[in-house]
Amino acid sequence: METSELLKRVRKIEIKTRTLSKQIFSGQYHSAFKGRGMAFSEVREYQSGDDVRFIDWNVTARFSRPYIKVFEEERELTVMLLVDVSASGDFGTNRPKRESISEIAATLAFSAVQNNDKVGAIFFSSEVEKYIPPKKGKTHLLHIIRELIDFHASKKGTDIGEALKFLRNVQKRKSTAFLLSDFMASGYEEALKIACKAHELIAIQVYDPLEAQLPDWGLLRLHDNESGQEIMVDASSEYNRKAFARYYEEERRQRENLMSKYGITHASISTEEDFVKPLINMFSRL
Amino acid sequence: MENIVFENPGLLWLLLILPLVGYWLFAKDKKTRPYLHYSDTRVGGKLKKTWKIRLYPVLNVLRLLCIALLIVALARPQTKSKNSRKNIEGVDIVMAMDISGSMLAEDFKPNRLESSKQLAKEFIQARESDRIAIVAFSGEAYTQCPLTIDHGILENRLKELQSGVIPDGTALGDGLAVAINRIRQSDAKSKVVILLTDGVNNAGSIDPLTAADIAKTFGIKVYTIGVGTRGLAPYPFRTPFGIQYQNTKVEIDEELLGQIAEETGGRYFRATNENNLKEIFNEIDQLEKTKIEVVSFEHRSEEYKPLLWCALVLLLLEITGRLFVFKTLP
Repeated sequence: METSELLKRVRKIEIKTRTLSKQIFSGQYHSAFKGRGMAFSEVREYQSGDDVRFIDWNVTARFSRPYIKVFEEERELTVMLLVDVSASGDFGTNRPKRESISEIAATLAFSAVQNNDKVGAIFFSSEVEKYIPPKKGKTHLLHIIRELIDFHASKKGTDIGEALKFLRNVQKRKSTAFLLSDFMASGYEEALKIACKAHELIAIQVYDPLEAQLPDWGLLRLHDNESGQEIMVDASSEYNRKAFARYYEEERRQRENLMSKYGITHASISTEEDFVKPLINMFSRL
Repeated sequence: MENIVFENPGLLWLLLILPLVGYWLFAKDKKTRPYLHYSDTRVGGKLKKTWKIRLYPVLNVLRLLCIALLIVALARPQTKSKNSRKNIEGVDIVMAMDISGSMLAEDFKPNRLESSKQLAKEFIQARESDRIAIVAFSGEAYTQCPLTIDHGILENRLKELQSGVIPDGTALGDGLAVAINRIRQSDAKSKVVILLTDGVNNAGSIDPLTAADIAKTFGIKVYTIGVGTRGLAPYPFRTPFGIQYQNTKVEIDEELLGQIAEETGGRYFRATNENNLKEIFNEIDQLEKTKIEVVSFEHRSEEYKPLLWCALVLLLLEITGRLFVFKTLP
């Protein structure tokens, strides 16, 4: 990708996501992530119902009216973006899943920067491809976005467990970790279990409508981007279409059960739909 | 359809490329055909292999068959039908057989007449393109069978010959004259009389030498065969007490026969036993060669059309299959 084109896209994503992140996370994001400890923010007049423990007696004495200390959650949060760059992301009906994932990641990164949080990123396929340590600032943000847009993975597979393990190794402090993937992998349960104890884990699955439902398109020749396996599928068979949908549903149900079991917030976002709404929904559930 | 020949049989070697094409169609299918790059094909195990997927390779088979048919059509198969026309310049032969009582002598087995008939029959069978007539004579002469190409009839008529139907004696001249009369007007290049006798001219109204002269005038060759052993031969005689045999001296006018033969450009043979007679017939057979000119035409008709139709149908089947039934994506 040409640099100028890349910059254009970075700009576009920046503008798009900046407005988006303002929209979405003006309220929710703030309270959604529980910070470590409390930071004093301001004092205001006491109103009935406020906790008497937080009355600032010095100010109260000075103004002879009750004042109360207002705290804010500490904003020194770290947001980690675990981005799946495996080959399965190349698939997509109108646009590749990877693009969706990149946009969501960029939006999240913007929000984090606006909230003055540190943002870091881990790009993974079957191994960790790239690690961008968390930092603050707009320059860093643009660096992450640039990488999101123009990163080429060296491996094709997907190993979510490996990425989670890596996260635990590099990020000792508790962070908010967004796991952005199509979750076309298995055997990550153990790592998930361990990671969700150390970090606030949020799983966002990106899928394509064609992965959920097989349209009646006759005989389909499919090439597995990750394993390279090539198969022929008869999509004109009613049975096959049902089995296909059932398979997807089954996978989805299992994954959601797994997430619920460990209390991990999760959402499924289609490449076709606008990802804002599901994200808002998800954060409102926090 | 059994006579199929190929005009360009060398092109059939092209069939050798079929395995290559097959390899290309089947093994390289994955490389030559586009595949949808999909995220995850593990679902494949859950799906049924429907008849469409199973039958899909048949399309390639159809293509192969189509190519094979095209190659075969290219080699120009033709059906051959042979029309031959024989131009035969046959020889006209009259077999003049002596059926006098002396022919019953049993120095030949079973007797001279039967033995001669048998050998004459073989002779007739061997000369299938000649017209042959049979004349029988003893005290008089008559035509047993006129000149004919129909050998079936000839053989039948020959079998019917027997001694004793006409007055006994040996009218050599009459026999020869009747034979000449039969053959006289024929336009055959070569006219032959085979005169088979066992005695001396002792009856008839025509002198044998006169008859020979006539033969010579008409350009007829006369082969004469004298039948009978030298010395004594057993003649059967019918007596009130059954058949009695009596040894009688064999008398053959060899000089006369030789003269007749010589006059007409034929030859005189003397047969003393069956084998001898057989050899003589063979020799005459050799002497009188038949000229046969065979003009054969070979008619060939092109048979590529049904093949091409089949190929077209197969191709259309394949295309319809690919377009409608076995529609693939991408």
